[in-house]
Amino acid sequence: MVVPAVPAAVIVVFAVLPFFADAYKVSFFLLMFMYLTLAGSWNIITGYAGYLALGHAAFFGIGAYTSAILATRFAIPWPVGALTGGVSAAICAAIMGGICLRLRHIFFAIATLAFSEAIRVIVLSWDKVTGGGFGISIPPEPYLAPFYYGMFGCAVGTVAMTYRLARSDFGLQLLAIREDEDAAETVGIDTTRSKIIAFVLSSVLCGIAGGIYAPYITYVEPISVFSVLITTQLIVMAIFGGTGTVWGPVIGVAVLGTLQEIFWANFPYFHRVLFGALIVVTILFMPQGLIELLKRRGVLPRSRSI
Amino acid sequence: MSEAELFLLAQVIITGLLAGAVYGLSACGLNLIVGVMGIVNMAHGEQLMIGAFVTFGVFTLLGTKSPLILFAAIPVTFVLGMLIQKYLLEPMMGSLEVGTLLLTFGLSVFLSTGFVFLFTANYRSVHIFGGSLLLGELAFPMSRVATAGIAAAITVAIYLFLKKHRLGKAIRATSQNADAARGCGIDVRRIRILSFGLGSAMAGAAGAMVSTSYAFNPDIGQTFILKTFAAITLGGMGSFVGGLVGALLLGLAEALAAWYMTAQIAEMVAYVVLIAVLLVHPTGLMGARRR
Repeated sequence: MVVPAVPAAVIVVFAVLPFFADAYKVSFFLLMFMYLTLAGSWNIITGYAGYLALGHAAFFGIGAYTSAILATRFAIPWPVGALTGGVSAAICAAIMGGICLRLRHIFFAIATLAFSEAIRVIVLSWDKVTGGGFGISIPPEPYLAPFYYGMFGCAVGTVAMTYRLARSDFGLQLLAIREDEDAAETVGIDTTRSKIIAFVLSSVLCGIAGGIYAPYITYVEPISVFSVLITTQLIVMAIFGGTGTVWGPVIGVAVLGTLQEIFWANFPYFHRVLFGALIVVTILFMPQGLIELLKRRGVLPRSRSI
Repeated sequence: MSEAELFLLAQVIITGLLAGAVYGLSACGLNLIVGVMGIVNMAHGEQLMIGAFVTFGVFTLLGTKSPLILFAAIPVTFVLGMLIQKYLLEPMMGSLEVGTLLLTFGLSVFLSTGFVFLFTANYRSVHIFGGSLLLGELAFPMSRVATAGIAAAITVAIYLFLKKHRLGKAIRATSQNADAARGCGIDVRRIRILSFGLGSAMAGAAGAMVSTSYAFNPDIGQTFILKTFAAITLGGMGSFVGGLVGALLLGLAEALAAWYMTAQIAEMVAYVVLIAVLLVHPTGLMGARRR
């Protein structure tokens, strides 16, 4: 298989980045990889299968709490905690998907929202284990680079998974479900099964990313890791770049992640308002995202694997 | 059961139904929208929040305690709803459902964060009702009784409008079959805009009621949209009467949970109801048309 030159070069640059960049830049890219993992994962269920999921903050939060609890109570090294976080997110997604994905669109969107709120309230009230509203403090680790590589791995994993998906029969099944679910069922696709698999796939890396984020930031609390802001951010980044494509979320995160970093310093709250407005404007005027514009202008070729 | 226990149970049940009547206003409004448009408006909770803010604004500006100010939210949210349908959602008609849902989600984020940005996240409330209504051994806060009464009156008025008025009949026809309605000469686009305005105005009115009995801030939309969803899922999506029945049952369940268990568990009731109904009987009590 020929490795495309540009992605390979980008991967090499990011792989050696911690050796020459300062801590600020490493942290910045770490967070960008986190957004990419979240936006790219969400893209699988919403972009490909066409089911609006509004509860991905829950998977991130579950991963973060799993990892935080394992690290503080059982002194388990964070990489193990992060992977366990991915597993717990996947289990949650399987249960949640099993319940919600027998239903059509509106119910699913509502149910994911309710599920994530319910999980947040459970974490908030179950204070013996989760510390309730006080959250959990995790002893800081001396080095930044391992977290960076962990998050980098999640981001590369997300893009690689989407790339595989886009070129597979399974990816086509999801697109068929998105375009016309009844027709998809008629031609023999087990739609419920495909949707549940897609939903679980879209949760695992979110959980791992949360599991890395917790020890990196050294503190988790319900309002930070279960925040609607996380859901808003990942949605705006994914749709701005272009959903249902492999590189759309990458472009969205690169552009909006950078803008957010600039805005954040100047307008600490206003960027949230802006993100809400940006979702509306993008859906109205650029529903297929920036990547479609690039394809239309011939900058990128028209291909399912882009 | 002793007499005192019976009185307590009656107190709890009536308190629940009073809350349910206010939920019902919001739930019937959303079901009106779902019925006609076939989509859920994720920004419905923000319409409710705006209704509460309009009431607070009028209350502060005029400094009056007249219950009439509770009606100020209705025209504001009615017009806002019509504008949203006309300029944001009409262009989306016929495209994939996920896009429309996303758009209303973006709108919900924009409105709630925008209000925090403009008015801060501080809690506010509107004090126009004081005292309690005494019924023998039972006592109910005047604010709950009055707002439930007004909410019920508005719900009945809209129900009658849908049943009797020409436009109401056109709305029901569109909701049953938009193509057939168009064939009968109904301007379906205009009906959609009107229905969205009406549904939003009901949310706004519910917000006005909420502002007098709860402390609110721009984030209450989130809490109430989930309660509204639970009510319409329970009652049946797209069914006006179903919305009311679901809302009354939800209010009742919350009151019973708050009394027999804890207030924290009562907050979970909406989620439990929502998930349980989706598991057991996804079409709800009165909705059978959609899956």
